[in-house]
Amino acid sequence: MAKLPLDVQQALQRQAPRLLKNKFKKEVDKKFKTIKSEMVKEFLQLPVTQELMQGPNAPNISGTLGGVTNLFAFIGFDKGDQPVMPIIQLLENTSIQFNKELKQAGNIGISYNVNLPTAEQIFALTPMPWAVGRSWAKGIETGISGLGYLLRKNSRGRSGSAIQSRVKVRGGKFKNTAYISSFINKYKKKFKELK
Amino acid sequence: MKEQFQHKLTTSFFLWFDNFLLTKGEAFSNKTGDFFYYSDDRLDATYKAYGSPYKQWVTDSSITGATVPSGVYIGGNFSGRDDGVVLDFDNGRALVSGSSTDLTITGSFAVKDFNVYMTNDTEEDLVVENKYTVNSRLPSAPYNYISPYDDVVPAVFIASSDSRNSPFALGGMQDTQVTMKAVVLAEDPYQLDGVLSIFMDSAEECINPIPMTGYPTTELGDLKNNTYNYVNKRNEYSDEIKFYINGVTTSRLSDRDRKSLAHDLYVGFIDFDVQQHRYRFN
Repeated sequence: MAKLPLDVQQALQRQAPRLLKNKFKKEVDKKFKTIKSEMVKEFLQLPVTQELMQGPNAPNISGTLGGVTNLFAFIGFDKGDQPVMPIIQLLENTSIQFNKELKQAGNIGISYNVNLPTAEQIFALTPMPWAVGRSWAKGIETGISGLGYLLRKNSRGRSGSAIQSRVKVRGGKFKNTAYISSFINKYKKKFKELK
Repeated sequence: MKEQFQHKLTTSFFLWFDNFLLTKGEAFSNKTGDFFYYSDDRLDATYKAYGSPYKQWVTDSSITGATVPSGVYIGGNFSGRDDGVVLDFDNGRALVSGSSTDLTITGSFAVKDFNVYMTNDTEEDLVVENKYTVNSRLPSAPYNYISPYDDVVPAVFIASSDSRNSPFALGGMQDTQVTMKAVVLAEDPYQLDGVLSIFMDSAEECINPIPMTGYPTTELGDLKNNTYNYVNKRNEYSDEIKFYINGVTTSRLSDRDRKSLAHDLYVGFIDFDVQQHRYRFN
């Protein structure tokens, strides 16, 4: 294949980023929005999210409690609480910020940053209802004691009907599962591959 | 079974925790007072138990200002280990050889502000279901002995939680991460704030691995070799790969939930992320 003259190559290198900036921006932005929407949709479909969103009467679809009671009651939320809302809000706030055009040889395009929340940011916004400082979202991954459940039971079951289980629910019943960290890592990778 | 990683971590963490609280918080008070006779079925006939009103005396002579006893006064005369006295630091008592049950015994010792226990109990057992004797460190007459063996509060209960290995370096080195959890049961918010604050600042501390043989007390609760100094003990193992406190989270039981408990204690939680880079089975 014939090679472009050097001066043409240099002119292209100089002018193309500026001329193609808007086109690149538009294309990347479109792909970003698609991934973001897919991310929020997937988060809403995670079994842990689904179970918590259904409140005190949900079945234990996440399998974390062997079918005995459910996460909402086990963690000790009050009826009406919406524990996953702060996470959804954070995911919805994920944004893309376009920077300058790329000017290195061989690269034509525009650089960008995606402001995806970190797992630590999510943990900071998801306090246990009975002990601010501990995160229930982290607990889903590392283990949760049955303390919240017992406390709510002692205070006459503010979580609603699910707390009335006759089975003695204890921390040992809880089976931790992947949740926020792996989810964020997955989308961090996806956003990194945006082209 | 020979000692494994988890055994060493548990011993090392426990000894470090105790020393850190006593050093950084000066969380002890020196006491002088009478000891009271009581019968103890678990002891053989060699000893008679004379208890002080406080459990868990300070064993660590590296703690500046703390009185670590080496004996007691029987009828006004000092009697030490050479005279047949065993000091049970954990139960706060002196075990005296012989059959006399009417001795007049006094002594001086430093008592911890918080008893420290390793536990297998769950958080719900510790906070909701267990019943505790409050062994207040504030003097209130009439004095009497404190019953041995049962856990008393104020106290910190330490337990090992989840642990995981992930590949770290070529050659099989692992990044081992263990969560150590502590439940704090305090008499008042000042005590609780103090403990939580001290350990919040323990992030990035390094802990020397001390094997189980380095544990300072005997089966009777007295000091091995009659002395224990954490700093000296730690320095014996300074060449080994240390445990690193990668992060600490502190939290307290909300006031609303505290009111639903059967006791009036203030409850806090400390979660330590402990890390060590190591080869498996080492």
